[in-house]
Amino acid sequence: MQGKETPLNVTEEWQLVRIARSSDRRRSRLKTDHLTDETGECLLADPCVRALRRCARVATSALSGRTVRPHGRDQVGQREGAVGLTTHAPQAAQAVTLPTTLDEAVAALTAMPAAVPVAGGTDLMAAVNSGQLRPAALVGLGRISEIRGWQYQDGHALLGAGLTHARMGRPDFAALIPALAAAARAAGPPQIRNAGTLGGNIASAAPTGDALPVLAALEATLIIAGPDGARREVPVSHLLAGMEMLRAGELIGYVRVPLLHAPQVFLKATGRTGPGRATASVALVLDPARRGVRCAVGAIAPMPLRPLEAEQWVASLIDWDNGRAVVPEALHGFGEYVAAACIPDAAPDEDGSVPQLPPAVLHLRRTVAALARRALGRALS
Amino acid sequence: MSNDTATAEAEGTAEAATPVPEPIPHGLGESLPPADARAKTEGTFPYAADLWAEGLLWAAVLRSPHPHARIVSIDTTHAREMPGVRAVITHEDVPGTPLHGRGGRADRPVFASDVVRHHGEPLAAVAADHPDTARMAAAAVIVEYEVLDPVTDPEHAFEAEPLHPDGNLIRHIPLRHGDPDAAGEIVVEGLYRIGRQDPAPIGAEAGLAVPRPDGGVELYLASTDPHGDRDTAAACYGLPPEQVKIVVTGVPGATADREDQGFQLPLGLLALKTGCPVKLTATREESFLGHTHRHPTLLRYRHHADAEGRIVKVEAQILLDAGAYADTSSDALAAAVAFACGPYVVPNAFIEGWAVRTNNPPSGHVRGEGAMQVCAAYEAQMDKVAKKLGLDPAEVRLRNVLATGDVLPTGQTVTCPAPVAELLQAVRDFPLPALPKDTPEDEWLLPGGPEGAGEPGAVRRGVGYGIGMVHMLGAEGADEVSTATVKVQDGVATVLCAAVETGQGFTTLARQIVQDTLGVDEVQVAPVDTDQPPAGPGCRGRHTWVSGGAVERAAKMVRTQLLQPLAHQFGMSTELLQIADGKITSYDGVLSTTVGEALDGKELWATAQCRPHPTEPLDEAGQGDAFVGMAFCAIRAVVDVDIEIGSVRVVELAVAQDVGRVLNPAQLTARIEAGVTQGVGIALTENLRTPRGLIRHPDLTGYALPTALDAPDIRIVKLVEERDVVAPFGAKAVSAAPVVASPAAVASAVRAATGRPVNRLPIRPQAAVATGN
Repeated sequence: MQGKETPLNVTEEWQLVRIARSSDRRRSRLKTDHLTDETGECLLADPCVRALRRCARVATSALSGRTVRPHGRDQVGQREGAVGLTTHAPQAAQAVTLPTTLDEAVAALTAMPAAVPVAGGTDLMAAVNSGQLRPAALVGLGRISEIRGWQYQDGHALLGAGLTHARMGRPDFAALIPALAAAARAAGPPQIRNAGTLGGNIASAAPTGDALPVLAALEATLIIAGPDGARREVPVSHLLAGMEMLRAGELIGYVRVPLLHAPQVFLKATGRTGPGRATASVALVLDPARRGVRCAVGAIAPMPLRPLEAEQWVASLIDWDNGRAVVPEALHGFGEYVAAACIPDAAPDEDGSVPQLPPAVLHLRRTVAALARRALGRALS
Repeated sequence: MSNDTATAEAEGTAEAATPVPEPIPHGLGESLPPADARAKTEGTFPYAADLWAEGLLWAAVLRSPHPHARIVSIDTTHAREMPGVRAVITHEDVPGTPLHGRGGRADRPVFASDVVRHHGEPLAAVAADHPDTARMAAAAVIVEYEVLDPVTDPEHAFEAEPLHPDGNLIRHIPLRHGDPDAAGEIVVEGLYRIGRQDPAPIGAEAGLAVPRPDGGVELYLASTDPHGDRDTAAACYGLPPEQVKIVVTGVPGATADREDQGFQLPLGLLALKTGCPVKLTATREESFLGHTHRHPTLLRYRHHADAEGRIVKVEAQILLDAGAYADTSSDALAAAVAFACGPYVVPNAFIEGWAVRTNNPPSGHVRGEGAMQVCAAYEAQMDKVAKKLGLDPAEVRLRNVLATGDVLPTGQTVTCPAPVAELLQAVRDFPLPALPKDTPEDEWLLPGGPEGAGEPGAVRRGVGYGIGMVHMLGAEGADEVSTATVKVQDGVATVLCAAVETGQGFTTLARQIVQDTLGVDEVQVAPVDTDQPPAGPGCRGRHTWVSGGAVERAAKMVRTQLLQPLAHQFGMSTELLQIADGKITSYDGVLSTTVGEALDGKELWATAQCRPHPTEPLDEAGQGDAFVGMAFCAIRAVVDVDIEIGSVRVVELAVAQDVGRVLNPAQLTARIEAGVTQGVGIALTENLRTPRGLIRHPDLTGYALPTALDAPDIRIVKLVEERDVVAPFGAKAVSAAPVVASPAAVASAVRAATGRPVNRLPIRPQAAVATGN
């Protein structure tokens, strides 16, 4: 009753509340919980990893930043009810656009900056259901048939961003890009895999996104659709590291992945036998044409990590002309090398002594070593 | 060829026979399906979250973000001024007693007034015309805190400043039994930690409060203890109990005191204040913050045994983290101390148990409370004794098992059936599951899941045992009484009993009892509200015992009323008449009539009570006949462990249980499977982490419940049906015992697979890695 004189101020306060809460959410989503021990201390002391995390924080903030829009003021006028004070927000007032081409979708986003693009909605709807997000308008991407399949282009596959995990998990896709298919099959329960998309996995940029280490190992390139038919290419690692970001009105259209015609492996360690978030994951692909091994470790940092030196070292040990033979010790050494590169020892103290890593981190390192060793072993077997 | 023809003929006859409907099972011992099963599977069953009323308002509760803080001020001005907000209430708006609490310890404020003692403690509640508005208004209540250091380590609670006027020590039981100087030839010691399990009820809490014209209020809740909650609510609202009515809506499933009074009580206050119906549907996050959890426990054990592996003495210290408020911690501690030695004969026992207050989220009743934590510890100790003596773990256990007539460390003689040796032998002798080496590699389910990283060469298999015991009904002098009414009219029987169906199958059981006693096939069980006489809380297998007993007595009284005129007419006693399939026949089959005819349009009613024999509280030395009955369970676990990554998959759990009598085989199997799966959760994944008193990951992504792939093959090897003479039908409760024994069995199996000590539950991956230790 008292609020009748000051509806506008109240609305502004709501906006503050919403903005404060949504930024809380971003913080909480970006917490790298799996890297902290029970006291909440950050376990990754390496400055380079910290820097990476900072970059990734910028990147994901920029990505999700545009999705956080408070209610417009126009809703104040829609309040009505028995005492004239109801705050029911009629759902019909929310605009939903269902474009059928990528350019229409970009145009719809440009025309309505408050709109949120939605593909599978597996992350977005969780935010809506928990009250963290009330999009003023939605642009549904589900009817854009051009991004729901794939095509071939100069020895590459051009994957539509709307490919679902379920589709990527099927055998015909697995014959093309086995590691991405394995990641898609591991990406959660069937309900999530049926809805969640490749583009959504990239845009959410969750540290535990299962497709991300595979795309990093494949050195995939994103083709981003912008206003007026503009297309630009961004390496997936640049986007995940925050070196380049999505601009207003832009959408991830396609992902270009090289077709390597060689074994690829994706391995994931989780806390349970059923579907769960990765505690660590390793994607490893062989590139016989360039005689290279490319490996990315996911879920232990805000973005996938590439142990470049370990890749080069092990590639030099493989007998590429002789059935890709390698001595068993090299597999073991590769695992240790990858793990040490991704989870380095703590920086030495002033007196030169190296502090012991906490047991949970040592275990994570051991897990990464086992995953990398097994991945290489399976790829070369 | 001839075989094929025979099969085809058999199929043909089966097809021809299909029009004949299968007889619907009825009566005790049959697998009667629950009456509401269809509605529940089709999604038409109304739960509290589905309720609606004209002019409905939505409530939201403001919860403390700090585990320990002094409240400097609470300013509700902004929240009140928001459009759509109809009421904002704080501790100043509680008309009745400001404190409440389960287990007879009223130490918990409805709304915190001066101090918040745990993360998620309610501070204020809002009623508004939209759930979002209510949540935003709750967020707009400005609370100024002076943040205090939380006491989160239960070991520090003893010396810490009192967190509550009642002090930090909630209960201390120093159990002394036998000769303190007794010593064995070998001594094994261990320190064990059990994590915080959340009951994670399917369907988060929800409720609707409707004001009544007489100034009272009706609460529609999924309460498991309607009369207890009614009395608490009435005291809080300053109303006589008759003016508060709790109507129990469908309970989506409960393994604990599932409802959170932190929102139940404000709902009624808001309804009384606004004069409108008020509803709240908790999010999963609120659910994790609101309800009580299993007691995290620290246990220190020392077992003395002789060279043959017989236990000579057990010394133990048990520390239960009760969280910020007492709740039912006293009961949990009594169970933990009394069962600290397990189902073994231990002549000398010295057990110190404490339940202490901390700034962690409150702990309360989750099935198997107290008994589950000690089981994990004493079974680990038995493994250590076996290892030290080089004996088979099952053999060491068999040399010590309890039997009927043995004495517990509390001085209570076990008078009920205690077929512990039989149970253990059954699971030990059951064939082990085959190794997957003969099946195609793609069909293997390795630790880590179907798309996981499991590598056959790194997987080790382990076998372990766990034997658990649990008490039934409330202990230590609790008055466990239930009242039921049975009515028969026009060939239809109705049961009125305030026992809540929480998934334990009580309504089905009540139908079976009445079908058996009265020979009436159509039995209805009336919905529960507090206008009915109390039946008590639904926990610790109570309702099968006391409410089932009350229904049986009432049905028998109706039967006597029904048969008396006939018996008189035929000149024989009622015992010589039988009722079956709706027909009354005399023993010789000469006389026959239907129940409908015998009723002759009359309506027969009877009400009866069931009250088990009394118990006594544990005295200052932990001695006393505190328990009405006990149930036992033996489980053999077979696990696969990836010894490099530390991932564990439970392959099979073989269960043998002491059930007294099987009343409904299908429900019994389901309850055992559910209990075992809950135990697998405790053993491997379920731990609500609360660093510095703050609940982390209050969602079902972060709090990993077992999925269908985590649930092992559950083989019910043996159900020992040795009737408990004091229990109605001789039946024992089945739900809690598998929860108690299965975590210990899984831990024991992981120990066998890895050679690691496994002292902590849930088992962390780094504790299940066999290399590099």
